[in-house]
Amino acid sequence: MPPDAGNVGIRLTERPASDVICHRQAGPVTVGALLAHAAAVAAVLPGEGPAVNACADRYLALVGFVAALMRGHATLLGAGRRGTPAFWDMAAARHAGAYALTDTVLPATSLPAIRLDEIAEPGAVAAPVPPPAIPPEQIVAIAYTSGSTGTPTAHAKTWGAVVTCAEAAAERFGFRAGDGPASAIVATVPPQHMYGFETTMMLPLRASVGVHAGESFFPSDVLGALAAVPPRRVLVTTPLHLRALLADGRRPPDLSAVISATAPLAREMAQTVERGWDAPMLEIYGATEAGSLASRRTVQEESWLPYRGVQVRPDVAAVPGLGEVPLADRVETDATGRFLLLGRQADVVKLGGKRASLADLTQTLAAVDGVVDGIFVAPDDIETNPAARLVAYVVAPGRSAEEILGALRRRIDPVFLPRRVAMLDALPRDALGKVPRQALAMAEGRQPGKHDPA
Amino acid sequence: MASGHSTALPPQDALPLELDLARLIVSALSLEVEPASIAPEAPLFGEGLGLDSIDALELALAISKTFGVQLRSDDERNHQIFASLRSLAAHIEKHRTR
Repeated sequence: MPPDAGNVGIRLTERPASDVICHRQAGPVTVGALLAHAAAVAAVLPGEGPAVNACADRYLALVGFVAALMRGHATLLGAGRRGTPAFWDMAAARHAGAYALTDTVLPATSLPAIRLDEIAEPGAVAAPVPPPAIPPEQIVAIAYTSGSTGTPTAHAKTWGAVVTCAEAAAERFGFRAGDGPASAIVATVPPQHMYGFETTMMLPLRASVGVHAGESFFPSDVLGALAAVPPRRVLVTTPLHLRALLADGRRPPDLSAVISATAPLAREMAQTVERGWDAPMLEIYGATEAGSLASRRTVQEESWLPYRGVQVRPDVAAVPGLGEVPLADRVETDATGRFLLLGRQADVVKLGGKRASLADLTQTLAAVDGVVDGIFVAPDDIETNPAARLVAYVVAPGRSAEEILGALRRRIDPVFLPRRVAMLDALPRDALGKVPRQALAMAEGRQPGKHDPA
Repeated sequence: MASGHSTALPPQDALPLELDLARLIVSALSLEVEPASIAPEAPLFGEGLGLDSIDALELALAISKTFGVQLRSDDERNHQIFASLRSLAAHIEKHRTR
């Protein structure tokens, strides 16, 4: 970013108006067309903001983000795929001027909603709209981490921080204008997730990238989307989706790279991708609080190379525009600045791209009516099985596992709901009050009626 | 587990394909419920069986392997298809190749 950018602002995009920024079913959309569409939307947005962008269509999500920026409104991230009424109600309670941008009918919510799919798109004759200049210190996104206690935490992102991160990613992955032909990104992560926001909203604005607009979730979606975009195709995904794609077995069209994030990818899976799809399998390491921080090519290296400007030290990352951000992973750095991930801080679990603390979840369980004692436990394969789920051991005389699950469902994010609720007479606590894993398994085995094959 | 107050048909009224599908769901997702206890018209996601998007991927995979049916997000009737065991079974019945 220029040294005196403070007063000048950084333009929304430096890309020529004729560049393709999005691949829709109806055809490619240029930067100029996007800007004209966003200006038309900006004209009808409510006064204040922030925007809760719940669009599943990535083009409309991008139009909504740019329109909000044109009005100086931040966008709230963390709503999850298509958002949830609980998130919208939280947004309405915390942000007086909040409104929702959607491309479908929303369930009842206290937020005023604007249907982007119902706003007429300006035709090709629309007057050119210049990209706005945005002060680097302006907050353009507020990312919410779900927080297992039911209290979401806000992480504000300045324009300078998200631009710097997007440009570092573009440099790392060869997406800059001078790096060759434009890339086409097909992503399986929603634009409402920090990783999806960076790769499908910021990268198309700041790098030579066109993003596929459709929803890509199931293997058939992903394969169809990849077939619909021109080379150089890049698949932006997660270990969970990769596992489903590999199990599906169909070979995708030629890819120039596959990028995965949200959880470390097993090296075997990376090897299978590189051999089977003949494309480099790259991984990004990041977090909602810090954004993307580093990358690696999994089959070649175990250690992570930080993005330009990022410094990773034990327990903390220094990030341009954000300062020092605590890390949820234990890291070991070497003299060159690269680092190894040593695993999560013992208490932290990450499922479906969301993070929670087992202690917080256990506290939430303890607060359920009728629960005398209880504990959340992560299964042994939590680091290697992308579909692994938690288990809860519960002491609640007179209450059933279904009742406990029902109570938890109203309090915690669905991905952290225990897949198994084991009802015990007592938790096998040791002299220090801790609950050893082995003792739990034994206690469960002793319970009458458990493990009976029906 | 059959609930008297819901509009769902009692579990014993599940059709053979529905019961096959219930068994597939239980095994693919390692659920701790009896396949026969899944009410055919109860919601699969959110309330009801309480499945989420991680489950949706696993389930889509199992359905593709077992019945040769590819699920897609852009199917306009996607919400309807995943609404219940009954609607999912009806979709599979119509499109199955094995």
